[in-house]
Amino acid sequence: MEAQLNRSIKEVIKDFPPVEKILDEYGIGCGPCAVGLCLLKDIVSIHNLPADQEQEMMGRISQVIQPGQKVQIPRAERKPEAKPKELKYSPPMKKLVDEHVLIKKWLALIPEILPRLDLESEEGRQLIRDGVDFIRSYADGFHHAKEEDILFKFFDENLDMVKVMREDHKTARNHVKAIVEGLEGKDRQTVVHHLSAYRDLLSQHIKREDEIMLPWMDNQLSVSQVGEMFSKFLEVEERMDSYQKKYEDFISRVERKYRKKEE
Amino acid sequence: MAQFSGCPGSRMVDFREKSDHNKEEAKGTIQSQLRQWPIQLHLISPTASYYQGADVLLTADCVGYALGGFHPEFLKGKSLAIACPKLDEGQDIYQEKIKSWIDDAKINTLTVLIMQVPCCMGLLNLAQQAAKGAKRKVPVKYVVAGIQGEILKEEWA
Repeated sequence: MEAQLNRSIKEVIKDFPPVEKILDEYGIGCGPCAVGLCLLKDIVSIHNLPADQEQEMMGRISQVIQPGQKVQIPRAERKPEAKPKELKYSPPMKKLVDEHVLIKKWLALIPEILPRLDLESEEGRQLIRDGVDFIRSYADGFHHAKEEDILFKFFDENLDMVKVMREDHKTARNHVKAIVEGLEGKDRQTVVHHLSAYRDLLSQHIKREDEIMLPWMDNQLSVSQVGEMFSKFLEVEERMDSYQKKYEDFISRVERKYRKKEE
Repeated sequence: MAQFSGCPGSRMVDFREKSDHNKEEAKGTIQSQLRQWPIQLHLISPTASYYQGADVLLTADCVGYALGGFHPEFLKGKSLAIACPKLDEGQDIYQEKIKSWIDDAKINTLTVLIMQVPCCMGLLNLAQQAAKGAKRKVPVKYVVAGIQGEILKEEWA
Protein backbone atom coordinates (compact mmCIF):
# COMPACT_ATOMS: atom_id res chain seq x y z
CA MET A 1 0.00 0.00 0.00
CA GLU A 2 2.88 2.32 0.89
CA ALA A 3 4.26 1.81 -2.65
CA GLN A 4 0.87 2.66 -4.20
CA LEU A 5 0.75 5.92 -2.24
CA ASN A 6 3.93 6.99 -4.05
CA ARG A 7 2.63 6.21 -7.55
CA SER A 8 0.92 8.68 -9.88
CA ILE A 9 -2.87 8.58 -9.77
CA LYS A 10 -3.03 7.80 -13.50
CA GLU A 11 -0.98 4.61 -12.95
CA VAL A 12 -2.99 3.60 -9.88
CA ILE A 13 -6.32 4.06 -11.73
CA LYS A 14 -4.95 2.22 -14.79
CA ASP A 15 -3.99 -0.80 -12.68
CA PHE A 16 -6.98 -0.61 -10.30
CA PRO A 17 -9.93 1.06 -12.15
CA PRO A 18 -12.39 0.94 -9.17
CA VAL A 19 -10.12 3.41 -7.33
CA GLU A 20 -11.42 6.18 -9.63
CA LYS A 21 -15.00 5.61 -8.48
CA ILE A 22 -14.01 5.49 -4.81
CA LEU A 23 -12.09 8.78 -5.09
CA ASP A 24 -15.05 10.30 -6.91
CA GLU A 25 -17.40 9.37 -4.06
CA TYR A 26 -15.26 11.46 -1.71
CA GLY A 27 -15.28 14.46 -4.08
CA ILE A 28 -11.83 13.74 -5.51
CA GLY A 29 -12.44 13.83 -9.26
CA CYS A 30 -9.02 12.75 -10.60
CA GLY A 31 -10.44 10.43 -13.24
CA PRO A 32 -10.95 12.93 -16.09
CA CYS A 33 -7.62 14.70 -15.40
CA ALA A 34 -5.61 14.77 -18.64
CA VAL A 35 -2.27 14.65 -16.85
CA GLY A 36 -2.68 12.51 -13.72
CA LEU A 37 0.88 13.03 -12.49
CA CYS A 38 -0.07 13.72 -8.85
CA LEU A 39 0.91 11.01 -6.41
CA LEU A 40 -1.91 9.22 -4.61
CA LYS A 41 -0.56 10.36 -1.23
CA ASP A 42 -0.46 14.03 -2.35
CA ILE A 43 -4.03 13.83 -3.64
CA VAL A 44 -5.23 12.49 -0.31
CA SER A 45 -3.28 15.14 1.58
CA ILE A 46 -4.39 18.08 -0.61
CA HIS A 47 -8.08 17.27 -0.26
CA ASN A 48 -7.70 17.38 3.52
CA LEU A 49 -10.63 15.07 4.30
CA PRO A 50 -11.65 14.63 7.94
CA ALA A 51 -9.57 11.83 9.54
CA ASP A 52 -12.45 9.33 9.73
CA GLN A 53 -13.42 9.84 6.07
CA GLU A 54 -9.81 9.56 4.96
CA GLN A 55 -9.37 6.29 6.88
CA GLU A 56 -12.61 4.92 5.42
CA MET A 57 -11.64 5.89 1.86
CA MET A 58 -8.09 4.54 2.19
CA GLY A 59 -9.51 1.34 3.66
CA ARG A 60 -11.71 0.87 0.61
CA ILE A 61 -8.82 1.65 -1.75
CA SER A 62 -6.58 -0.84 0.04
CA GLN A 63 -9.25 -3.52 -0.38
CA VAL A 64 -9.18 -2.90 -4.13
CA ILE A 65 -5.39 -3.02 -4.26
CA GLN A 66 -4.81 -5.86 -1.80
CA PRO A 67 -8.19 -7.63 -1.36
CA GLY A 68 -8.71 -9.50 1.89
CA GLN A 69 -5.47 -8.31 3.45
CA LYS A 70 -5.37 -6.25 6.60
CA VAL A 71 -3.27 -3.23 5.79
CA GLN A 72 -1.86 -0.54 8.03
CA ILE A 73 -3.03 2.69 6.43
CA PRO A 74 -0.83 5.72 7.03
CA ARG A 75 -2.58 9.02 7.57
CA ALA A 76 -1.57 11.35 4.74
CA GLU A 77 1.18 13.75 5.70
CA ARG A 78 0.29 17.42 5.84
CA LYS A 79 2.26 20.55 6.23
CA PRO A 80 1.44 21.95 9.68
CA GLU A 81 0.04 25.18 8.28
CA ALA A 82 -2.53 23.38 6.11
CA LYS A 83 -5.23 23.74 8.75
CA PRO A 84 -8.76 22.75 7.80
CA LYS A 85 -10.83 25.89 7.51
CA GLU A 86 -13.84 27.17 5.64
CA LEU A 87 -13.37 28.11 2.01
CA LYS A 88 -12.55 31.80 2.14
CA TYR A 89 -9.96 33.06 -0.29
CA SER A 90 -7.29 35.68 0.30
CA PRO A 91 -7.85 38.88 -1.76
CA PRO A 92 -5.57 37.92 -4.70
CA MET A 93 -6.98 34.37 -4.88
CA LYS A 94 -10.49 35.83 -4.74
CA LYS A 95 -9.64 37.88 -7.83
CA LEU A 96 -8.68 34.74 -9.75
CA VAL A 97 -11.91 33.05 -8.67
CA ASP A 98 -13.93 36.14 -9.65
CA GLU A 99 -12.31 36.17 -13.09
CA HIS A 100 -13.47 32.59 -13.53
CA VAL A 101 -17.07 33.88 -13.39
CA LEU A 102 -16.78 35.73 -16.72
CA ILE A 103 -14.92 32.80 -18.32
CA LYS A 104 -17.62 30.39 -17.10
CA LYS A 105 -20.29 32.61 -18.66
CA TRP A 106 -18.53 32.20 -22.01
CA LEU A 107 -18.23 28.43 -21.50
CA ALA A 108 -21.95 28.25 -20.73
CA LEU A 109 -22.73 29.99 -24.03
CA ILE A 110 -20.76 27.58 -26.21
CA PRO A 111 -23.42 24.77 -26.30
CA GLU A 112 -25.98 27.40 -27.29
CA ILE A 113 -23.78 28.84 -30.04
CA LEU A 114 -22.54 25.64 -31.67
CA PRO A 115 -25.82 24.07 -32.97
CA ARG A 116 -26.59 27.26 -34.86
CA LEU A 117 -23.05 28.07 -35.92
CA ASP A 118 -22.91 29.33 -39.49
CA LEU A 119 -19.38 29.86 -40.79
CA GLU A 120 -20.69 30.80 -44.22
CA SER A 121 -22.02 34.09 -42.90
CA GLU A 122 -19.78 37.01 -41.87
CA GLU A 123 -21.83 37.34 -38.67
CA GLY A 124 -21.15 33.71 -37.73
CA ARG A 125 -17.42 34.03 -38.42
CA GLN A 126 -17.20 37.28 -36.47
CA LEU A 127 -18.79 35.65 -33.44
CA ILE A 128 -16.07 32.99 -33.40
CA ARG A 129 -13.38 35.63 -34.01
CA ASP A 130 -14.69 37.59 -31.00
CA GLY A 131 -14.86 34.41 -28.92
CA VAL A 132 -11.27 33.57 -29.80
CA ASP A 133 -10.24 37.13 -28.93
CA PHE A 134 -11.95 36.76 -25.53
CA ILE A 135 -10.17 33.45 -24.91
CA ARG A 136 -6.77 34.67 -26.06
CA SER A 137 -6.84 38.12 -24.48
CA TYR A 138 -8.91 37.66 -21.32
CA ALA A 139 -8.93 33.98 -20.34
CA ASP A 140 -5.36 33.31 -21.44
CA GLY A 141 -3.45 36.59 -21.94
CA PHE A 142 -4.78 38.10 -18.74
CA HIS A 143 -6.06 35.40 -16.36
CA HIS A 144 -3.77 32.45 -17.17
CA ALA A 145 -0.82 34.81 -17.48
CA LYS A 146 -1.48 36.03 -13.91
CA GLU A 147 -1.38 32.42 -12.77
CA GLU A 148 1.72 31.46 -14.75
CA ASP A 149 3.79 34.63 -14.33
CA ILE A 150 2.84 35.47 -10.74
CA LEU A 151 0.96 32.80 -8.76
CA PHE A 152 3.08 29.80 -9.82
CA LYS A 153 6.29 31.70 -9.02
CA PHE A 154 5.43 31.38 -5.33
CA PHE A 155 5.57 27.59 -5.68
CA ASP A 156 7.98 24.94 -6.85
CA GLU A 157 7.54 24.74 -10.62
CA ASN A 158 8.05 20.97 -10.36
CA LEU A 159 5.01 20.60 -8.14
CA ASP A 160 2.59 18.19 -9.82
CA MET A 161 -0.26 20.61 -9.26
CA VAL A 162 1.55 23.41 -11.10
CA LYS A 163 2.48 21.05 -13.94
CA VAL A 164 -1.17 19.99 -14.31
CA MET A 165 -2.38 23.59 -14.47
CA ARG A 166 0.29 24.53 -17.03
CA GLU A 167 -0.52 21.44 -19.10
CA ASP A 168 -4.22 22.41 -19.15
CA HIS A 169 -3.33 25.93 -20.33
CA LYS A 170 -1.15 24.46 -23.08
CA THR A 171 -3.89 22.06 -24.23
CA ALA A 172 -6.38 24.95 -24.25
CA ARG A 173 -4.02 26.98 -26.47
CA ASN A 174 -3.79 24.08 -28.92
CA HIS A 175 -7.59 23.90 -29.12
CA VAL A 176 -7.75 27.64 -29.83
CA LYS A 177 -5.12 27.30 -32.56
CA ALA A 178 -7.23 24.56 -34.15
CA ILE A 179 -10.38 26.70 -33.86
CA VAL A 180 -8.65 29.52 -35.74
CA GLU A 181 -7.47 27.11 -38.46
CA GLY A 182 -11.00 25.74 -38.75
CA LEU A 183 -12.37 29.25 -38.97
CA GLU A 184 -9.96 30.22 -41.74
CA GLY A 185 -10.87 27.13 -43.75
CA LYS A 186 -14.60 27.52 -42.93
CA ASP A 187 -14.38 24.00 -41.52
CA ARG A 188 -17.42 23.87 -39.26
CA GLN A 189 -16.70 20.40 -37.90
CA THR A 190 -13.21 21.37 -36.69
CA VAL A 191 -14.47 24.55 -35.02
CA VAL A 192 -17.30 22.68 -33.29
CA HIS A 193 -15.01 19.85 -32.16
CA HIS A 194 -12.27 22.06 -30.70
CA LEU A 195 -14.59 24.64 -29.15
CA SER A 196 -16.49 21.80 -27.41
CA ALA A 197 -13.21 20.25 -26.26
CA TYR A 198 -12.03 23.65 -25.01
CA ARG A 199 -15.26 24.03 -23.05
CA ASP A 200 -14.94 20.58 -21.44
CA LEU A 201 -11.30 21.16 -20.55
CA LEU A 202 -11.78 24.64 -19.07
CA SER A 203 -14.91 23.64 -17.12
CA GLN A 204 -12.99 20.87 -15.36
CA HIS A 205 -9.91 23.06 -14.98
CA ILE A 206 -11.82 25.90 -13.31
CA LYS A 207 -13.69 23.51 -11.01
CA ARG A 208 -10.39 21.96 -9.89
CA GLU A 209 -8.85 25.38 -9.33
CA ASP A 210 -11.80 26.81 -7.40
CA GLU A 211 -12.38 23.82 -5.18
CA ILE A 212 -8.95 22.25 -4.73
CA MET A 213 -5.90 23.99 -6.10
CA LEU A 214 -6.43 27.64 -5.22
CA PRO A 215 -7.62 26.91 -1.63
CA TRP A 216 -4.62 24.60 -1.14
CA MET A 217 -2.21 27.17 -2.56
CA ASP A 218 -3.81 29.89 -0.43
CA ASN A 219 -3.13 27.81 2.66
CA GLN A 220 0.56 27.57 1.84
CA LEU A 221 1.14 31.31 1.37
CA SER A 222 2.36 33.59 4.15
CA VAL A 223 0.63 36.91 4.84
CA SER A 224 3.61 38.68 3.26
CA GLN A 225 3.39 36.58 0.08
CA VAL A 226 -0.34 37.33 -0.18
CA GLY A 227 0.46 41.06 -0.05
CA GLU A 228 3.20 40.70 -2.67
CA MET A 229 0.95 38.71 -5.00
CA PHE A 230 -1.89 41.23 -4.52
CA SER A 231 0.27 44.17 -5.60
CA LYS A 232 1.69 42.26 -8.61
CA PHE A 233 -1.87 41.37 -9.68
CA LEU A 234 -2.85 45.05 -9.36
CA GLU A 235 -0.14 46.07 -11.83
CA VAL A 236 -1.48 43.61 -14.41
CA GLU A 237 -5.10 44.56 -13.71
CA GLU A 238 -4.34 48.26 -14.23
CA ARG A 239 -3.02 47.44 -17.70
CA MET A 240 -6.14 45.34 -18.42
CA ASP A 241 -8.54 47.90 -16.96
CA SER A 242 -9.61 49.49 -20.25
CA TYR A 243 -10.27 46.06 -21.81
CA GLN A 244 -12.25 44.60 -18.91
CA LYS A 245 -15.45 46.37 -19.96
CA LYS A 246 -14.97 45.36 -23.59
CA TYR A 247 -15.02 41.67 -22.65
CA GLU A 248 -17.88 42.02 -20.17
CA ASP A 249 -19.86 43.75 -22.93
CA PHE A 250 -19.01 40.97 -25.39
CA ILE A 251 -20.34 38.30 -23.03
CA SER A 252 -23.50 40.33 -22.27
CA ARG A 253 -24.09 40.88 -25.98
CA VAL A 254 -23.84 37.16 -26.80
CA GLU A 255 -25.98 36.29 -23.77
CA ARG A 256 -28.69 38.72 -24.90
CA LYS A 257 -28.60 37.37 -28.44
CA TYR A 258 -28.88 33.69 -27.48
CA ARG A 259 -31.25 34.15 -24.54
CA LYS A 260 -33.54 36.25 -26.78
CA LYS A 261 -33.68 33.45 -29.35
CA GLU A 262 -34.57 30.97 -26.62
CA GLU A 263 -37.49 33.14 -25.42
CA MET B 1 -25.90 35.18 41.70
CA ALA B 2 -27.67 37.26 39.08
CA GLN B 3 -26.49 36.77 35.52
CA PHE B 4 -23.98 39.41 34.44
CA SER B 5 -25.65 41.94 32.19
CA GLY B 6 -23.00 44.62 31.76
CA CYS B 7 -20.27 45.15 29.20
CA PRO B 8 -18.79 41.78 28.14
CA GLY B 9 -15.42 43.51 27.80
CA SER B 10 -15.42 44.29 31.54
CA ARG B 11 -17.00 41.06 32.77
CA MET B 12 -14.99 39.40 35.51
CA VAL B 13 -13.83 35.91 34.55
CA ASP B 14 -11.56 33.72 36.67
CA PHE B 15 -10.05 30.88 34.68
CA ARG B 16 -7.23 29.92 37.04
CA GLU B 17 -8.83 26.51 37.56
CA LYS B 18 -9.25 25.92 33.83
CA SER B 19 -5.71 26.91 32.88
CA ASP B 20 -3.88 23.97 31.37
CA HIS B 21 -0.72 23.79 33.45
CA ASN B 22 0.29 20.54 31.81
CA LYS B 23 0.95 22.17 28.45
CA GLU B 24 4.62 22.39 27.74
CA GLU B 25 6.01 25.83 28.49
CA ALA B 26 8.89 27.41 26.61
CA LYS B 27 12.12 27.23 28.57
CA GLY B 28 14.78 29.93 28.79
CA THR B 29 14.66 33.43 27.36
CA ILE B 30 12.14 33.90 24.57
CA GLN B 31 13.50 36.09 21.80
CA SER B 32 11.51 39.29 21.39
CA GLN B 33 10.33 39.86 17.82
CA LEU B 34 9.74 43.58 18.35
CA ARG B 35 11.89 45.54 15.89
CA GLN B 36 10.87 49.15 16.50
CA TRP B 37 9.90 51.80 19.04
CA PRO B 38 7.45 53.44 19.74
CA ILE B 39 4.46 51.14 19.25
CA GLN B 40 1.40 53.03 20.53
CA LEU B 41 -0.65 54.27 17.58
CA HIS B 42 -0.72 57.88 18.86
CA LEU B 43 3.04 57.87 19.24
CA ILE B 44 4.16 56.26 16.01
CA SER B 45 4.91 58.04 12.75
CA PRO B 46 3.10 56.12 9.97
CA THR B 47 5.91 56.88 7.55
CA ALA B 48 8.73 55.64 9.81
CA SER B 49 11.29 53.52 7.98
CA TYR B 50 10.11 50.29 9.57
CA TYR B 51 6.61 50.72 8.12
CA GLN B 52 7.79 51.26 4.52
CA GLY B 53 6.52 48.34 2.43
CA ALA B 54 6.02 46.34 5.63
CA ASP B 55 3.54 43.76 6.78
CA VAL B 56 1.91 45.73 9.59
CA LEU B 57 0.28 44.27 12.67
CA LEU B 58 -2.29 46.49 14.34
CA THR B 59 -3.21 44.90 17.63
CA ALA B 60 -5.56 45.69 20.47
CA ASP B 61 -3.69 46.41 23.71
CA CYS B 62 -4.93 43.30 25.53
CA VAL B 63 -3.85 40.83 22.84
CA GLY B 64 -0.19 40.84 23.83
CA TYR B 65 -1.18 39.56 27.30
CA ALA B 66 -3.74 37.01 26.14
CA LEU B 67 -1.75 35.22 23.43
CA GLY B 68 1.06 33.06 24.78
CA GLY B 69 2.70 32.81 21.37
CA PHE B 70 2.24 36.46 20.37
CA HIS B 71 5.89 37.15 19.51
CA PRO B 72 6.80 34.07 17.44
CA GLU B 73 3.38 33.46 15.90
CA PHE B 74 2.12 36.95 15.10
CA LEU B 75 4.74 39.65 15.62
CA LYS B 76 7.66 37.94 13.87
CA GLY B 77 8.51 39.71 10.62
CA LYS B 78 5.92 42.45 11.12
CA SER B 79 5.92 46.11 12.16
CA LEU B 80 3.61 46.88 15.03
CA ALA B 81 1.17 49.42 16.41
CA ILE B 82 -1.14 48.98 19.38
CA ALA B 83 -4.37 50.73 20.32
CA CYS B 84 -7.51 50.30 22.39
CA PRO B 85 -10.73 51.02 20.50
CA LYS B 86 -12.67 51.31 23.76
CA LEU B 87 -10.54 53.60 25.90
CA ASP B 88 -8.33 55.61 23.54
CA GLU B 89 -9.30 59.13 22.52
CA GLY B 90 -8.67 60.82 19.19
CA GLN B 91 -9.50 57.84 17.04
CA ASP B 92 -9.95 60.04 13.98
CA ILE B 93 -6.17 60.46 14.16
CA TYR B 94 -5.85 56.66 14.19
CA GLN B 95 -7.83 56.48 10.98
CA GLU B 96 -5.59 59.04 9.28
CA LYS B 97 -2.48 57.17 10.39
CA ILE B 98 -3.77 53.87 8.98
CA LYS B 99 -4.54 55.62 5.70
CA SER B 100 -1.05 57.03 5.68
CA TRP B 101 0.42 53.55 6.20
CA ILE B 102 -1.40 52.41 3.07
CA ASP B 103 -0.89 55.48 0.85
CA ASP B 104 2.42 56.92 2.03
CA ALA B 105 4.36 54.05 3.59
CA LYS B 106 2.92 51.71 0.94
CA ILE B 107 2.61 48.85 3.38
CA ASN B 108 2.31 45.33 1.95
CA THR B 109 -0.46 43.99 4.23
CA LEU B 110 -2.38 44.97 7.34
CA THR B 111 -3.26 42.38 9.96
CA VAL B 112 -5.67 43.47 12.69
CA LEU B 113 -5.42 41.34 15.81
CA ILE B 114 -8.25 41.85 18.29
CA MET B 115 -9.84 40.22 21.33
CA GLN B 116 -13.18 38.43 21.21
CA VAL B 117 -14.94 41.09 23.31
CA PRO B 118 -17.43 43.13 21.23
CA CYS B 119 -15.77 46.52 21.79
CA CYS B 120 -12.64 45.23 20.09
CA MET B 121 -14.48 45.01 16.77
CA GLY B 122 -14.17 48.80 16.80
CA LEU B 123 -10.49 48.48 15.92
CA LEU B 124 -11.28 46.29 12.91
CA ASN B 125 -14.02 48.70 11.79
CA LEU B 126 -11.61 51.61 12.13
CA ALA B 127 -8.99 49.81 10.02
CA GLN B 128 -11.53 48.81 7.39
CA GLN B 129 -12.87 52.36 7.12
CA ALA B 130 -9.34 53.69 6.74
CA ALA B 131 -8.49 51.05 4.12
CA LYS B 132 -11.66 51.93 2.23
CA GLY B 133 -10.74 55.62 2.24
CA ALA B 134 -7.16 55.04 1.10
CA LYS B 135 -6.13 55.48 -2.52
CA ARG B 136 -4.07 52.29 -2.58
CA LYS B 137 -5.53 48.88 -1.83
CA VAL B 138 -3.87 46.33 0.42
CA PRO B 139 -5.05 42.97 1.75
CA VAL B 140 -6.46 43.29 5.29
CA LYS B 141 -6.56 40.25 7.52
CA TYR B 142 -8.17 39.96 10.93
CA VAL B 143 -7.56 37.57 13.74
CA VAL B 144 -9.78 37.23 16.81
CA ALA B 145 -8.20 35.96 20.03
CA GLY B 146 -10.18 34.46 22.90
CA ILE B 147 -9.60 35.68 26.45
CA GLN B 148 -7.87 32.41 27.27
CA GLY B 149 -5.41 32.77 24.43
CA GLU B 150 -7.07 30.64 21.77
CA ILE B 151 -7.48 31.79 18.15
CA LEU B 152 -11.20 31.98 17.41
CA LYS B 153 -11.12 33.34 13.88
CA GLU B 154 -8.58 34.15 11.21
CA GLU B 155 -9.85 35.59 7.93
CA TRP B 156 -9.15 38.03 5.14
CA ALA B 157 -11.47 41.00 5.51
